[in-house]
Amino acid sequence: MRSVRVVVALTVLLCVGLMSATAFAAVDWKQSQGTEIRFLMNKHPFTTYIEPKVAEFEKLTGIKVVIEAFPEDQYRNKRTIELNAGGKVDGYMIMPGQDDLHYWKAGWLQPLDGYIADPKLTDPSWDPKDFFASFAKASSVEGKQIGIVINAETSLLAYRKDLFAKFKQKVPTTMKELEQVAKFFHGKEVDGKKMVGITLRGKGAAATSQWVDFLYTFGGSWTNSKGQSNFASAEDIAAFKFYGDLLRKYGPQGGTMLHWAESTSSFMEGKAAMIYDANVFKALYENPKESKVSGKIGYAVIPAGPKGKRLPHVSNWSLSISKTSPPERQKAAWLFVQWATNKENCLGALLAGVPSGRASSWKSKEYKAGDKQPDWTAATMKSFDIGQGQWNPPVINVPEIRDITGQVIVAAIEGKDVTEAAKKAAELMDKKMER
Amino acid sequence: MIAMNRALSAISRFVNRRQAFFFPAPAVAVLFLIIVLPIAFNLYLTFTKWTIGLGEPRFIGLANFVELFGDERVWNGVKVMVYFSGASLALELALGLMIALYFNRAFKGNELVQAIYIIPFAATPVAVALIWRIMLNPEIGVLNYLLTSVGLPPSLWVSSAQAVVPTLVMVDVWKWTPMITLIVLAGLKSLPQDPFEAARIDGANALQIFWYITLPLIRPVLIAALMLRSLDNLKEFDMIYTITQGGPGIASETLYLYSYNVGFSFFKAGYGSALMVVVFMIVLVFNVVMNRLRRDAPAV
Repeated sequence: MRSVRVVVALTVLLCVGLMSATAFAAVDWKQSQGTEIRFLMNKHPFTTYIEPKVAEFEKLTGIKVVIEAFPEDQYRNKRTIELNAGGKVDGYMIMPGQDDLHYWKAGWLQPLDGYIADPKLTDPSWDPKDFFASFAKASSVEGKQIGIVINAETSLLAYRKDLFAKFKQKVPTTMKELEQVAKFFHGKEVDGKKMVGITLRGKGAAATSQWVDFLYTFGGSWTNSKGQSNFASAEDIAAFKFYGDLLRKYGPQGGTMLHWAESTSSFMEGKAAMIYDANVFKALYENPKESKVSGKIGYAVIPAGPKGKRLPHVSNWSLSISKTSPPERQKAAWLFVQWATNKENCLGALLAGVPSGRASSWKSKEYKAGDKQPDWTAATMKSFDIGQGQWNPPVINVPEIRDITGQVIVAAIEGKDVTEAAKKAAELMDKKMER
Repeated sequence: MIAMNRALSAISRFVNRRQAFFFPAPAVAVLFLIIVLPIAFNLYLTFTKWTIGLGEPRFIGLANFVELFGDERVWNGVKVMVYFSGASLALELALGLMIALYFNRAFKGNELVQAIYIIPFAATPVAVALIWRIMLNPEIGVLNYLLTSVGLPPSLWVSSAQAVVPTLVMVDVWKWTPMITLIVLAGLKSLPQDPFEAARIDGANALQIFWYITLPLIRPVLIAALMLRSLDNLKEFDMIYTITQGGPGIASETLYLYSYNVGFSFFKAGYGSALMVVVFMIVLVFNVVMNRLRRDAPAV
């Protein structure tokens, strides 16, 4: 009798043990022990956040991680040249909206779907559904996930809350209202300074990053269903014209030479009632050492277009795995990417000022407790939800097509014949697009 | 041992007889590596289509040069180049000569004034251009502040498609006229004094002396100064790139800036190389013509 009980007890114990082993320890973090992997990184706040924590990962997995970080401009060149030369690169940071097609065609991006679906390699707590759908899509090429978001951005309308209250103006919710409010503030004298209604980027190719939100919101697109340039369509022309008119009539002088640095500084000097630019520039606007308007700013999602559509873009930095890296090292690289983008690290990075691509980070008590601009957070969340990940022309030669686009934006700001400029650019774009 | 000694002395005799070949050999090898090879590679690239990072260069014959003629931005680039270089070289030469004539007399504090005068020319181009860029800003720049404080209307400077090239010419003239002055001044100081004395005795006035004596005598020096300056000016890059990057739009995009954009922003190495060859040809032709003019000048 006793021996039967022992057997039963042992069996039960064994079953429980097996069950817990499958349920709680599906991923063997030590499976790639002894492997060395090399990541190329941009000297980005995320890198600053994650580098000191890498030792934890190395202790957990026994994988040695070598991180080499470079300033952004240098980084892009270095990454392209190293991958081109076939050096030992297992993973790297990438801005998918900028480089994904180029890197995909070159055969440098490993699809991650297989790793994500494999229960031996991906822990359930990693929870891929927690990432905003817009960013998961933004880090995909041809339906394949090629990166995991580590820094999530969008663009927002920022406005002077104090002046809007003083002059009883409503925050614009449509493009029409945006123009009216810009017109209202343009030329108003505030504290002895003449205001401009709104400031935007106007410097050719550089302006396309924010102009694209107007393009989508006006119902336009880069290419039509036949894959040809859509610039000559009524919607695209309306977007070019609205953007150019807005900046010429109600913006700072010399609109065609405004890059983000000039545009944001004009807003931070208190010279503009509104600005439409990257949401992360909040850090500049709200820094009392650099900005004269900190604490006086409200934030809103892009106003709706003529047909009620709002479609801002989202952009991101992602961690990708190099397709040229051998399978053993790819596996180790995936464990690293997974660890770096787990809930804890995404939240930690957000608290350190790196906008997270995980909804859970933004909803956490820790983040909410320290949030000084809840309307910025709300607008950012909204924009993440509705955002479009394709913010560059869907081609390999992105800079060249952006440059062609920029010429039309400049023509629109200069008040030239937009239709003609757009038609000419469409022809040129059709000739130059590489896919 | 003896065989080795014999071999060594044979080598040393061999080298001794051909010193002219062996001593400059290391320098020639380095020059070959850093000058001849890149130029040859560049020439090879002009016949290829190659996007950096995407595959290997593909031979396409003369297609790049054909494309070039139909490319509006090439013609815009040539136009901007001629406008910018023509205006700045003419002004620099005229002003440089006038100021050299002025400095070519004894007056109190002459040396101090000259030392201050060459500061723009001595300063680092990019640093100076960055300062100009801030001064030219239509909203916060000091130039518009100065204009409006004396009651003049503000200008858009480089933010206007019409004003941008004249503004860049102004900056270039400010920076480089001192160089022309220095060269011309050195030329003036080396001129023989007898023709001037003779002219004065014959009762020629200052203008006649300048026109019939100084100018013909100084002509070779002027042309030399123009050649030196044009080498840099025709491929002016740092100043324009720092201040406008070719903007607004392409209003100040010289051919040289366009080829840079094609090569290093669009990563089209083949087409970019072809554009560079065109810039090189323009500079070459200009200098051959100038050299002719200099040789045809009467000997001093």
